[in-house]
Amino acid sequence: MTVTSSTLETKSSYPEPRYFGREKSRTTSDKIFSGTVIVSALSSLFILTGILVYLSTNSLPIIIDQGISFITGSNWSNIEGEESFQIWPMLYGSLFNSIIALVIAVPISVFLALFIVFLAPKAISKVLVVIIDVLAAIPSGIIGLWGFLVFTPVAANWGELLNQYLGFIPVFANDQGQFARSPFIAGWILAIMIIPIITVVSREVLSQTPQELIDASRGLGGSLSGAIRMVALPYARGGIIGGVMLGLGRALGETIAVFFVLNLIFDVNYFEILIPEGGNIASMIVAKFGEATPNEINALLGAGLVLFIMTLIVNLIANVIVKRSTRERLS
Amino acid sequence: MSTTLERETSQIQPERPWAKQNKSTLVANLVAVIIPTTLLAILFFVTEIPGPVLVVAFFFPVQLLTAGVTTFFDRGKRGLGDAVLSVACVTSFGLVLALLGSVVFSVIARGLNTLSFSFISQNNIYISPTTELSYGGVGHAILGTFLVVFIALVIAVPLGIASAIYITDIRGRAAGFVRFMVQAMSGVPSIVAGLFIFAAVILTDVVGFSAIAGGLAYAILMLPTVARTAEEVLKLVPKEVRDAAVALGSSRARVTLMIVIPTAKTGLITAVVLGVARVVGETAPLLLTTANANNTNLNPFSNPVATIPVYIFQFLASGYETSLNRAWGAALVLLLIVSILFALTRLISRKKREKQ
Repeated sequence: MTVTSSTLETKSSYPEPRYFGREKSRTTSDKIFSGTVIVSALSSLFILTGILVYLSTNSLPIIIDQGISFITGSNWSNIEGEESFQIWPMLYGSLFNSIIALVIAVPISVFLALFIVFLAPKAISKVLVVIIDVLAAIPSGIIGLWGFLVFTPVAANWGELLNQYLGFIPVFANDQGQFARSPFIAGWILAIMIIPIITVVSREVLSQTPQELIDASRGLGGSLSGAIRMVALPYARGGIIGGVMLGLGRALGETIAVFFVLNLIFDVNYFEILIPEGGNIASMIVAKFGEATPNEINALLGAGLVLFIMTLIVNLIANVIVKRSTRERLS
Repeated sequence: MSTTLERETSQIQPERPWAKQNKSTLVANLVAVIIPTTLLAILFFVTEIPGPVLVVAFFFPVQLLTAGVTTFFDRGKRGLGDAVLSVACVTSFGLVLALLGSVVFSVIARGLNTLSFSFISQNNIYISPTTELSYGGVGHAILGTFLVVFIALVIAVPLGIASAIYITDIRGRAAGFVRFMVQAMSGVPSIVAGLFIFAAVILTDVVGFSAIAGGLAYAILMLPTVARTAEEVLKLVPKEVRDAAVALGSSRARVTLMIVIPTAKTGLITAVVLGVARVVGETAPLLLTTANANNTNLNPFSNPVATIPVYIFQFLASGYETSLNRAWGAALVLLLIVSILFALTRLISRKKREKQ
């Protein structure tokens, strides 16, 4: 009989313990304890439901009044008699900024993850992991302050150069002569905030690539880049996509950093990334909140509801993708 | 016994000859670094082309070209992909390093001018955006931040740890569902948390703008971080420890409260610290819940309270030279608090590793 190590490990020398979690608790103290824990554990459910209920009940009259144009229209006016609350420019702006951020952040993050896992010497990759953690820990308020006072002038300069040399491409067109507070800059700021998320998730899945596969690829004479392209990236694809979706969720909901670097205009800017016109639901809520009329407050709650549902869907898809791709690895 | 078996049969380390650096590779790498940089330096000082254009239009192509040529001579055609890959990786690394360095350096450099004992101890009464920096400060905002974070801790930590206990220890039928809900919560944008508390607590006149409202909003953001980290930590408590306690006749409550939680104590502290670090710089929810104040307000249930993120927001929005300096000073204080928290998590995990 051959004894493998795995059977030795799983067969414990004492009878399999009975887990009390599945049977009825007997004593009163146990009942109180498990009751308390169950109720507290369901707090996330209560909070999520609470968010849905409170945001929708308050904003429902406004949304019904505006109809579908609450989402598709572009007018926002709190003047009594001609009130109109429509969020399309802000909604589109949120998506637009986030997509710019992804275009910038995804290649950088994936290369960083590859650098950490495959290329860098151990010491450097350890330092890089800490650097990514630090970047993730910097509060958004500080990124906003830095983005407004330090980054904007530099990025506006780059935007001007882009326009000067590539202005014939419609995306880089700018006939306003102003380069600050553009979606381009907001996209960069968001990219800085989501690079850590995408890098951490990508690093996690890339580092699970079986060493044997990499070795086999290298042993057959393949280059490192070949091994990464043919083995590691296909292997980690699902996880990386999940990480990108998590980053997207974060970018959609970011408020303060974008508030300071983007000019909010209630007129849709569909593709010109360098002009100082853009939109963002979260920043719009902060911008309008201070001097809002009661009806406008309810409209802002409706905008928050739209943002909440959007990020919820993106995050759930992301979590499912990440979970599925890591579970496949384990089985 | 199982471990010795494994070691005997499968622990032959592969040699991986491709990982060895030989001299020609080293020379090729050196050449690939030196040529583009010297050319860039010469062009930068001799010609008058602006730096950014030079870097993008000249340095990157030349860098790619030299890296490609040198690896081609070193390793043949298969080296080309490696050259592109390493240039892209090092560029991303440099870019992130530069961005982070710029953020940290500008906060420290500009904040240090503002930072003084009076700045961290005084409050903001009678201070206008143009008042000299020697008067007034963030003292009230530091206290306010601590107050709001403390309230959030009191609410979020028990709920978060209970969620984790439900998943790892009680293992009820809804464990998967609870984990799913916690994950869904971690995606709630901070502004939405603020809006929710505003609608649920302030619009309904339960309390006004106050520290307790801010604490509730922070708690929503903190809960998923605490719950997820606590779950990871509680999972690490060995099964045997739990089994032993059950075998001795402990009740369910006793096993969890007196065995599992004390075993995972340091890890749970890390979970709490991470939760604090997650929320401490959030501005958006506080704008909608605590509002802002110039005086020191330590009453959690009434009247607006100042916090550091909102203080930064206030002075950044007013735009004068001195007010911007105040914002930088407050940002430095916030950065210091965050780095203390960050160092704390590292210290805790290192101590734990030493213990084992």
